[in-house]
Amino acid sequence: MSILVVCAAVFGIGLFVVLSRRDVIAVLIGLELMLGSGNVLMVALASVKGHDPATTQSLGLMVVVLAAAEAAIGLALLIASVRRTGRSRVEEFEEVTG
Amino acid sequence: MSATLAYVVVLVLLGVGALGVLLAREALRLTLSLGVFLLGVAASFLYFGLGFLAVAQVFVYVGGVLVLVLFALMIVRRAEGDRVLLGIRFDWGSAATALSVAILIIVMLLPEFDAFVPPAGTSDPAALAQRLLGGYLVPFEIAGGLLLVAVLAVLAIVGKEASE
Repeated sequence: MSILVVCAAVFGIGLFVVLSRRDVIAVLIGLELMLGSGNVLMVALASVKGHDPATTQSLGLMVVVLAAAEAAIGLALLIASVRRTGRSRVEEFEEVTG
Repeated sequence: MSATLAYVVVLVLLGVGALGVLLAREALRLTLSLGVFLLGVAASFLYFGLGFLAVAQVFVYVGGVLVLVLFALMIVRRAEGDRVLLGIRFDWGSAATALSVAILIIVMLLPEFDAFVPPAGTSDPAALAQRLLGGYLVPFEIAGGLLLVAVLAVLAIVGKEASE
């Protein structure tokens, strides 16, 4: 089975988890699946096309940094939600104030 | 280890981790499944000869983000009870959307891929440093700035809640 099929399936699973789960932590983990599979797919495509590994590695590092920042903010929102309401559901974020 | 076996191990780690996230009903199992998936991502980087990226993935994700998720889980567990159970509901609309996107990715990229993708040449850290501090200096600095903004945002969100 090709890495393309596995990465596309993992991306689909991540998207399904983001859309269907109601717990903030599960939604965050779904987002991590999507970012991770996208990064692997980018690296694989660069390998197939014969691009310079150093350039591929630089771009992959940027995606890792982006995903780390996303996880940090998401977990901060999770902790804020639990502190405020005692629950960690996405419904708590229906109304956002500035 | 032959390249084919390493390729299969990478695919199995990615698939098993993602399926674990999909099927887990308990938050701790969900987090551990994410750990398996992230190790699979690191293994795929190693397979493609990107050693530094694989090490960064393990340090940042498995050592950093995963531990952060476990800490957040401890706080949620204290608030919600002993075992954090996650509600699973099957939603046809979400399933159709996810399936359509996955098929779209496969159809778009299928001409580019074969069943087996051989590992490319290895990259040494010196070449990476030359890229990051040379041609990619501006994106590198922007990524650093993004991390700083993320830290400030986290402090603003958690600090505001704490003061209230």
